[in-house]
Amino acid sequence: MANVIINRVREFLQSYPPFSFLDEAALEAVATAVEIRFFAPQEYLFEQGEPAQDCFFVLKEGEIHLTQSIDGRQEIYEKCDEGDVFGVMALMGKRPYRLNAQAAENSLVYAIPVQTFESILKENNRVALYFAAGFASGQVVVRNDLSKSQQARSILGSPTKDIGLLLFTGQSDVRIKHEVLTCQIGESCHAAALKMAERDVGSIIIVDNEKLPLGIITDKDLRNRLVAKKLPFETPVERIMSSPLTTMKPNANFPDLYLTMVRQKLHHLIFTEDGTASSKVVGIISDHDILLAQGNSPAVLIHGLQNTSEVKEMAKIRNRAERLLKYYLENEVSMDFVANIISEINDLIIQRAIEISKRNLEKKYPEEVRKIKFCFISLGSEGREEQLLRTDLDNAIVYEDLDPEADLAARPFLAELAQSVIDILLACGFHPCPALMMANNPKWCQPLDQWKKYFSEWISNPTEESLMHSAIFFDFRPIYGQKKLSEAMAKHIYKEIEGKSVFLNFLAKNANMNPAPLGFFRNFVVEKSGEHRDKFDIKMRAMMPLTDIARLLVLSHKMVDINNTFKRFEKLAEVEPQNKEIYLEAAKAYEILMRIRAIEGLKSESSGRYIEPNKLGKLQRQLLKNAFYPIDELQALLRVRFQLDYFKG
Amino acid sequence: MSSWWKKIWEDEFTKTDFVKEYEDKFRSKTNPDTPLDQLTFCILDTETTGLNVNKDYILSFGALKVKKYHIHLSDLLEIYVKAPLVKSEALSVHEIVQKNDAEELSSFAQHSLQYIGNSIVVGHHVGFDIQMLQKTYRPFGLKKLLNKTIDTFELAVRLEKGYHFNPELIRNEEYSLDALCKRYKIPLHDRHTASGDAMLTAILFMKLLKSAENKSITKLSHL
Repeated sequence: MANVIINRVREFLQSYPPFSFLDEAALEAVATAVEIRFFAPQEYLFEQGEPAQDCFFVLKEGEIHLTQSIDGRQEIYEKCDEGDVFGVMALMGKRPYRLNAQAAENSLVYAIPVQTFESILKENNRVALYFAAGFASGQVVVRNDLSKSQQARSILGSPTKDIGLLLFTGQSDVRIKHEVLTCQIGESCHAAALKMAERDVGSIIIVDNEKLPLGIITDKDLRNRLVAKKLPFETPVERIMSSPLTTMKPNANFPDLYLTMVRQKLHHLIFTEDGTASSKVVGIISDHDILLAQGNSPAVLIHGLQNTSEVKEMAKIRNRAERLLKYYLENEVSMDFVANIISEINDLIIQRAIEISKRNLEKKYPEEVRKIKFCFISLGSEGREEQLLRTDLDNAIVYEDLDPEADLAARPFLAELAQSVIDILLACGFHPCPALMMANNPKWCQPLDQWKKYFSEWISNPTEESLMHSAIFFDFRPIYGQKKLSEAMAKHIYKEIEGKSVFLNFLAKNANMNPAPLGFFRNFVVEKSGEHRDKFDIKMRAMMPLTDIARLLVLSHKMVDINNTFKRFEKLAEVEPQNKEIYLEAAKAYEILMRIRAIEGLKSESSGRYIEPNKLGKLQRQLLKNAFYPIDELQALLRVRFQLDYFKG
Repeated sequence: MSSWWKKIWEDEFTKTDFVKEYEDKFRSKTNPDTPLDQLTFCILDTETTGLNVNKDYILSFGALKVKKYHIHLSDLLEIYVKAPLVKSEALSVHEIVQKNDAEELSSFAQHSLQYIGNSIVVGHHVGFDIQMLQKTYRPFGLKKLLNKTIDTFELAVRLEKGYHFNPELIRNEEYSLDALCKRYKIPLHDRHTASGDAMLTAILFMKLLKSAENKSITKLSHL
């Protein structure tokens, strides 16, 4: 039996990354090599500029401050608490220390010899990534680190292998059938059916004389388009095939091809050499293959939603989507994919709600009223396709401009329709908007002309209230009905901004109201001593600044149709190559924040908005902290670009 | 007649090599001006079958070394001693079950004495541990441990109450290892194992030594 002292050290290390990634033997070796060091307050463990010692440190008890000497003063860079790893310069090629480490209290520190750890660093990828991604304290976060820390998180975060996870991680895990049954145009349906029977498959690809794919025939086509139509068996295949085909490259990543199938409601996806229909077929995948592998898949949920008119059933499906979301988050599925799927489901629920409501009102209103053109738009986070959890509803209706008489007749219908839709959505578990920015509020169910007046007013008279309205209403997205109406709104907005660029300065000023919460973790250690145990408002302090900045910049570039905050940043990176890095960082930061918030929300069955930092895992905390850096840089960029220092509003 | 008398003054047992080796380490005296952080301290604890030095014996021994306020975990000593018989009361306190890897008395004596060497021996109520050890070493030819010793109990009292405080006025329970650990904010782990108690004593000792340094107790001779 090992010494109790070593056991105790081992148990302690085991609960903190990167030691949590070590196997028993490695952990034992590390614990045995540890040197316990005691430091009294004010004592230095190492000083800036000193050559690296032959060990790095883990704080066992007490508090260590990492400080930076600037112009003779010492600025606290970071406060380490229990379990923090620091002084890792020793591992990073033995460069001199960049910071001072000073004990703030009586502190016990475990010194881990580099010699013992070097072989682990070489052999254990997760440990290597931990350091490479800058998770250790006092490792200066440089820009490109966020992608690494994200990558690291996905590797470090889920030690359990899961078949579901494998589905999303690599191409090699998707089972594409490479033996594809084909027949040429001109062949008879009978010949095609014979081939299908011989090979016992449900589909056949129709190719031209050069073997390029043209279309597909499935069991269902033979039934519906041949037998049911009483066509002769000799009918050439091209007469009943489905065409054109959706093709992709065989190395397309799984989320992409999966989304394509879900969106276009495809049953089959064909792989060709170069991804277009003008090269040879190399593989096929069916929705059935995916369903088999997936069980509780979005496709199943979407299918379920499309085929029910029962509100109760819809609510059940939305609950199942939540479980799916949880699974995706836990398995580090890309946020782009997750947000897409969940938005798709949310949109579908809204569309179904409208369809059901319309049908229920069929007998109550004359046809000319029911036929008026309208568009149901989502606002705020659902408008940005970022509403992962069923938080507050923000939506509105815009309808065509009518003569006063027709308008008067239309209003009761639209009001009742909107009320019914909102009722269904609430029954599906969404929460009402406390500020009543919903379609059932007569103020937000208006003809296009009135909406134009609203926007003009907000833009030309940027009061606090109009800025708040812009934050919600500028992120609108058509969900159901006449897209032309929402497009007209967008056009109007850009026309208005054109003449009143001062509005953008107001938006910029507003976006800079909440400084990056960089000091947050510095307070964190202080909070431990028990004065305040305040929670952290991730929405207000971290996400809103990024959302506001992205919206402003997109408006200033007159970009349309990109609603998602992280996609906005990605697009901005394209348009402003000189700021590419910071925009991409911001995009990743936002994804990380969304993920953390959703995970917290699911865990605490709340909106996830308020986070208790000391309940976050060490990695999560570090990741959160790294995600704050881009906010600060972007706000500095805004200050210069929109001359905020001279602009007093 | 004379030879009989001589026997009285001689060791009852002949000195084994490891005892001679131990005694050799004390040939040269440590300079009393040696600063505290240059000294090697051996913090030890024993678990015994009882508190009677004459009747009871050591079941296990845990020790570690502190130098410059560092403890090397690669240099720990933990030994379970093969007991002639097992007394049930001690078992219930310490929950020591005879280990498979327990060492014979001679092997224990050799290893522990080599480990202790000429370091300064530190323990909580260390007098008792010293007596138990001396009893154990006697058959191998060592009458008396030659090390300087520091009792963390006395050190704590001296630092908190002053040098000249009458020890008889001290309420012992205020200076028990448990009470001191609590007062000096040392989380209790593995109490009542020799190594666990040695570790707690070591952390306590480092904290006490640091505050001693702040009170200008900086040299060996000050201790």
